[in-house]
Amino acid sequence: MDDDKTTKQILDEQATAQRCASLYNPDFLKELHNSFEKWQNTAITEVEKASLKTIPHSLLGTEIPRGLFYSPQDVSKIDYAKDIGFPGGEPYTRGIHPNMYRGREFTMRQLSGFAGPEDTNERINFLLDHGATGVNIIFDLPTIQEYDSDNRMARGQVGKGGVAIDSVEDMELLFKGVPIDKISVSLVTHYPTNTAILFAMYLVMAERRGIAWEKLRGSVQNDMVVEEVVRGAPEYIPPPECFRIQCDNIAFIRTNIPGWNCITFNGYNLREAGTSEVTETAVAMANAIETIKELVARGYSADWIAERITFFWDVANDFFVEIARLRAARRLWYKIMKHRFGAKSSRAMLMRCHTQTSGLCLAREEPLNNIVRAAYHALAAVLGGAQSLHVDSYDEAYSVPTEAASLLSLRTQQIIQEESAVTEVVDPLGGSFYIESLTDEIERKILDAVNEVEEMGGLVTAIEKGWLHRKITDYTLRENELIEKATIKIVGRNCYKASAEDIPEIDIFEYAQDTEEKQRQKLKKLRAERDNNIVVKRLAELREACKQRQNIFPYCLEAARANATEGEIAGIFRESFGLWKPPNFW
Amino acid sequence: MPDTNIKMKMVIATLGLEVHWRGAVTVARLLRDCGVEVVFIGNAYPDEIIQVAMQEGADIVGVSSLTGGHLILGSELMEVASQKGIKDNVVFVIGGIFPPGDLPKLKEAGFDGTFGPEANGEVIYTFIKKAVSLKQKELPDI
Repeated sequence: MDDDKTTKQILDEQATAQRCASLYNPDFLKELHNSFEKWQNTAITEVEKASLKTIPHSLLGTEIPRGLFYSPQDVSKIDYAKDIGFPGGEPYTRGIHPNMYRGREFTMRQLSGFAGPEDTNERINFLLDHGATGVNIIFDLPTIQEYDSDNRMARGQVGKGGVAIDSVEDMELLFKGVPIDKISVSLVTHYPTNTAILFAMYLVMAERRGIAWEKLRGSVQNDMVVEEVVRGAPEYIPPPECFRIQCDNIAFIRTNIPGWNCITFNGYNLREAGTSEVTETAVAMANAIETIKELVARGYSADWIAERITFFWDVANDFFVEIARLRAARRLWYKIMKHRFGAKSSRAMLMRCHTQTSGLCLAREEPLNNIVRAAYHALAAVLGGAQSLHVDSYDEAYSVPTEAASLLSLRTQQIIQEESAVTEVVDPLGGSFYIESLTDEIERKILDAVNEVEEMGGLVTAIEKGWLHRKITDYTLRENELIEKATIKIVGRNCYKASAEDIPEIDIFEYAQDTEEKQRQKLKKLRAERDNNIVVKRLAELREACKQRQNIFPYCLEAARANATEGEIAGIFRESFGLWKPPNFW
Repeated sequence: MPDTNIKMKMVIATLGLEVHWRGAVTVARLLRDCGVEVVFIGNAYPDEIIQVAMQEGADIVGVSSLTGGHLILGSELMEVASQKGIKDNVVFVIGGIFPPGDLPKLKEAGFDGTFGPEANGEVIYTFIKKAVSLKQKELPDI
């Protein structure tokens, strides 16, 4: 590992040093070039010639110019072995497993979370009964923002947009009867700080059920970009402290829960906040590079850490770009691990990912159209070789999905898996002149964007300076302008406008009214019955660990064991690290 | 679209713990570009929003909510506005993601306008301009 050089410099040097054996011989390419010229001069008119390259505009896209068609000329520099290879082998462009979906189907993991833990537990069991193969939990606003349900700041928001969790007791109710020793569980904790708290509660829940940590499978998010940039919040801790907690969590989880993915670099939420697939991928990879560097500095091996990290990508409208991006991300991550970190373990070089269809691309007008949109997104994810998938529901432009809408999303996945036969052949679009050319171009763009971050001094610095906030805002404003001009088309909104009033005749999810009160009652009982002296002691120990720069995770775990609440633990972080004011970026 | 003859001041906030800020910031920038003087305060609760609106002498208060906090915190905002006596001469708008059945409830609570993700800058600007001139007409002569 050479810290003086940027990742791009290291990879560029590697590329120059390697041989390149084109699939085509030079004579053939010369002949092809001549016949292409001839075609251009005879088969198409001058006007058509002028529009040979177009720039497609799509929601959350990058505006990569596209040719009219692609031919061997566009991929003449590709070396099959070096750039494409075989599935399950370097450079992993074609997929991380040799037999991909024949050997292991993508995990069908629909997000669940609303009201209290008892309510979400029913939804989890409903989805598992209908063939879901993984669990995916989203938390309500107060839980995500780390305030207890009885905090005045939580009023009106308990159980909204996710499930309310205040203590280990709630975690026990959430997973009651769910075989967490057999099925993988994704906890969408988003932030490093709430990962340290909510995952600690999850571990204590497993302990109380007598399930050994070694048996647990799943992932947390634990991504500082979501905590410091993607979300809006009344209170933030400073980015360097947030990054430190992210690394603390990784160190603890990797050491103690071997089957658990200790971080999910979350491109998805950043992309949905407003950016392209290139920035989405680049920021996640820049974060991954900085994280591995930090953990190496703490004495851990890059291989060992990377074996248990995963990525989470958004799949939006530009169908072939999304497929090419997944392929490009796999190849680039392999190169980063191999050449920047000198990885030896093949597992450490795998870009394993969960994907979710884009929520931003859903429209309120004629909501049934969203079923079609999400199905295309899902198909792109599978053609791109994703390991795991969530399909957004058509009613999410209005509220959290109803049970029927959730089932339809699961069925969308099952139809792709069981009926379409697209999973029979590995990387079915590999070798397409178009896909290979796009894959190359997107990989180059991602690496350039990673380079921009590294030249600024790394991601933590870039965030502190407001670079990422501004990037999102600028992107969103421009995108908004393109939508208003109908350059970016949204069927039913700015083209083929819905004629009637756009009130749809669909069922909309209705929240239970009593969640906040139920959570308050549980908290009242908990605070009355637990040993508050121990809680105070554990919180004081955590405070000390924050100050002494010890790994905070074991202290959060002890606090959770003592039945401290989420808000109490998070309060220690805010108190110890102070608050950060994000730069003015709008 | 910008109309420099009409000076308007607007306080924009994301309501309570709302995590999504894209919509609020986009509207803030679009309206600023239309000549509206925008005070963007990020995440805030009703008391603070009304306090800032009064300090700034705002003509309009706009809040954003996407994750279900709109009814309770939205109603609370309007109650505080009423208590402080600014409900009738300040325009209140709310934007975000709402089930259609909640739209009449938000109007009932006192919001002058509700906007979904499909609302563009021009629609919002035209609305607030008209609403401000109507509300100002309602003010008693001194």
